[in-house]
Amino acid sequence: MNKPLRFLIVLLPIIIFSFFAKVLLVEEDEKFLKFNAKNLPSFELNDLDGVAVKSQSLDGIKLVNVWASWCITCLVEHPFLTKLSDENIQIVGLNYKDSSDKANAWLQKNGNPYIFSIYDPRGDLAFDLGVTGAPESFLLIDNQVIAHIQGEMTQRKWETIFYPLINKARNTK
Amino acid sequence: MIGEISHFLSLSAVVIFCLILIFNFFFIFDKTHSNQLSLSLRMFNQACWLVFISFGMYVYLSINDDFSIAYIASHSNSQLPIFYKISSIWSAHEGSMFLWIVFLTVWSILFINSLHRNHPLKRITLLMLSLIILGFLLFLLLTSNPFERILPFGAIEGADINPVLQDPALAIHPPMLYLGYVGFVISFSFITAYLFHGNFELEWEKDIKNWSLVAWIFLTIGITLGSWWAYYELGWGGYWFWDPVENVALMPWLAATAFMHSLYASSKSNVLKTWTMFLGILIFALSLFGAFIVRSGIIDSVHSFANDPQRGLYLLIFSGLITLLALGIFAYRVPSLNVSRFVISGSKESYLSMNNILMITSIFSIFLGVTYPLIIEAVNGEKVSIGPPYYNTIFAPLILIASIFIMASLDSIWQRSKPFKSIVSSIIVPMILSLIFTYVVWHVTAVFSILSYIGIFSGSLILFSYLYRILSNFFYKKFINIGSAVAHIGFGLLFIAISFNSILSYEKNLNLAPGETILIDESIEEFSFDDIKVLKASNHDVISVEVSLLQDGNNIFLNPQKRKYATRGQITTESSIHASILKDTYLTIGDQLENGSWTFALKINYFIKWIWFSASLMVMGMLITIFKKKAI
Amino acid sequence: MIKINFFLLAAFIIFSSSNFAEIAYQFDDPAQEKRFYSLISEIRCPKCTSGSIASSDAPVSRDLKNKVYKLVIEGSSDKEIKEYVSERFGVFADYRPPLEGANYILWLSPFIFFFVIAAIFFSKRRV
Repeated sequence: MNKPLRFLIVLLPIIIFSFFAKVLLVEEDEKFLKFNAKNLPSFELNDLDGVAVKSQSLDGIKLVNVWASWCITCLVEHPFLTKLSDENIQIVGLNYKDSSDKANAWLQKNGNPYIFSIYDPRGDLAFDLGVTGAPESFLLIDNQVIAHIQGEMTQRKWETIFYPLINKARNTK
Repeated sequence: MIGEISHFLSLSAVVIFCLILIFNFFFIFDKTHSNQLSLSLRMFNQACWLVFISFGMYVYLSINDDFSIAYIASHSNSQLPIFYKISSIWSAHEGSMFLWIVFLTVWSILFINSLHRNHPLKRITLLMLSLIILGFLLFLLLTSNPFERILPFGAIEGADINPVLQDPALAIHPPMLYLGYVGFVISFSFITAYLFHGNFELEWEKDIKNWSLVAWIFLTIGITLGSWWAYYELGWGGYWFWDPVENVALMPWLAATAFMHSLYASSKSNVLKTWTMFLGILIFALSLFGAFIVRSGIIDSVHSFANDPQRGLYLLIFSGLITLLALGIFAYRVPSLNVSRFVISGSKESYLSMNNILMITSIFSIFLGVTYPLIIEAVNGEKVSIGPPYYNTIFAPLILIASIFIMASLDSIWQRSKPFKSIVSSIIVPMILSLIFTYVVWHVTAVFSILSYIGIFSGSLILFSYLYRILSNFFYKKFINIGSAVAHIGFGLLFIAISFNSILSYEKNLNLAPGETILIDESIEEFSFDDIKVLKASNHDVISVEVSLLQDGNNIFLNPQKRKYATRGQITTESSIHASILKDTYLTIGDQLENGSWTFALKINYFIKWIWFSASLMVMGMLITIFKKKAI
Repeated sequence: MIKINFFLLAAFIIFSSSNFAEIAYQFDDPAQEKRFYSLISEIRCPKCTSGSIASSDAPVSRDLKNKVYKLVIEGSSDKEIKEYVSERFGVFADYRPPLEGANYILWLSPFIFFFVIAAIFFSKRRV
């Protein structure tokens, strides 16, 4: 066996082990930062009040939040969303696989942080967005989906993923 | 109190292993047997016994429901039968790590005491083994302590074992698998010791051959049991998912299989020695890697333990150091290993070398498949999935090449190439038979899938070669190695079974309300949803469904269930299987739809039992090899 | 969701006389059926830790299966269906990484590796 090969036998494991060490030490948050932007799929649905909504209605900077009255975690993130809407963040609800009666009752009871909620009882728009359940949140800037998280929206996720992106978008305008 | 004693014994073992290492550090270049070595040996034996007694006490605690110990409280329950109280110990990370260590010490103590009193490699082997055991003991006690108490008051009742693990196959699957993984610590330590020692006149193959064969058997049984369990318990009707955790178990198996072959060649004809040594080191290194992948939670998998980077980092550093130590010595010594014998093309060892190359390639592919998603995520943040299509595509050509070389090697001899003419009949006959067989299958089933036909062709090539060989043995008294023949027939049958399973099996999804009957196809003329009941068992509620089928003229009753476990709120699906020689009728019940009907998944799995039968043939072949001493 | 419904459902078990019995994912062409089942075994369940949508009963898996069924019936090719799914749920959902870009490394390197090792081995013949 020649020298480079012998060298490789030792070097290769070192490379592999250092790679795994690096992967292991990467902060969970850093993983969220990468998302391939895509266009908002076109759709024509109503909101919970029966007013027609189209993809074009979601212009500017919008936080889209997938929720449903049967979803327990949605209740957990609700206070945080309310806080965001008080800070003038425009949140559009996407009511997912729900009935409008139950959904409206839920909003009545828990408060409504959404500027409006798109009513998607069969989950068609949600499917096109790649929603896997509720809650999930998207960031839309000028009809482009530029961030997507699954599960509850938290202060931490907001500060590390969404807020910087919104800031950047505002500054370029 | 017993918990503290058990904990204390483990700690004492740590101290003794440390002492052995420190004590012997000054003697590592001392190649003579001395009183000092026999003292170390005695200390080693005592330390191992401390670990056994400590584990024995832990088992006692678990049987007697000591729920003041956090681990037992969260994984056992007073209502469990004793069998599951014991197996609950290895149902999660801490306890299974403890079991890992116990097996490590069992293998070590047996091996080290089996060595001749004055064996020159004894000291270094002892040191390697102590180092490895110590590393894992420290890992256990520092990062995953199973002895931790709930203070000041223990739990009144345990939280129960994970229900999918409450199953006889799964209770014995981890011990088998661990016995296999850990058994290769022997080849690892002994080869490292041999290389370190530097006297290359020594024989080392014989001392570890049977140990490795036994470890291989445990590993094979462990993997097979795991596959069987996944088939009937997880309710997906599949037997192998190319899940990362399955993959990290398969890699040491492939390395071990390559090692067995290579060891055979190097003990017979003095070639491939460096390969054999490298493989002997690689097996255990891959076992360590597997432990890291499963226990760090770095890769999402249904089987992996909870994510804990702390543990991951410890395991990574420790297994990295151990592996580098062994590979470093290997790389340093390789040039002075005096092996200059040529591998002659056409000789038996040339075919065995081919086998090594194929095995290493398959290990590489699996390794790549497991790490590629991590690499891509690290490079550009994209998440990719690598699943069955990738592995099946990569493995099919490798298996085809392997089968051709297995066929050719059957009639070959050591150290000499045989003229092509003399082996032509033993190649042509199986080749033609396999082609005909494959064509007939294609013609009859009328399904086309390249990969499956490669599988059928390769499998039948191996089968026909051996059948031809057995016939020639019968008529012309040609030599045949029975153990190897049985194992390879199992190997060939495995690919035929897998391929048949993939082309013939089918699935039907049904929606039925109770009392309804439906026609499915020519084979299943009636599927009746007879009854549905809600039952209460001691620790779970059951939705139990009775279904009768009129299949191929026979009445079959199936009873799939859904269970909800009270303490964990977990829902499990219990499949119901009717098995015949050729096929399994596999039924699971899904959810209730809004209209009140229920969903069923009915799977007709062909040749599935043959897959496990093939694996047991391989084990049987290995057993024959062990007991027929002269065979290898 | 399943968790909550379990007991509700159990409580509402009724023997109905109306006819619901049907085979879901019914195909006229057996080749299409084969394709459907092979496709759903290659699409990863986006809600599960691992496993295909064929092995999952999660609501999103059911939606995906229904969609794939519709697309197969409508005559879409395997490639179109995979692209349709990847557009929505990312390439993560495809258990068969497409042969493009960096994936060439993934698909080809086992074969390159095989030839390199064989070359090293047989060039010297004295390992």
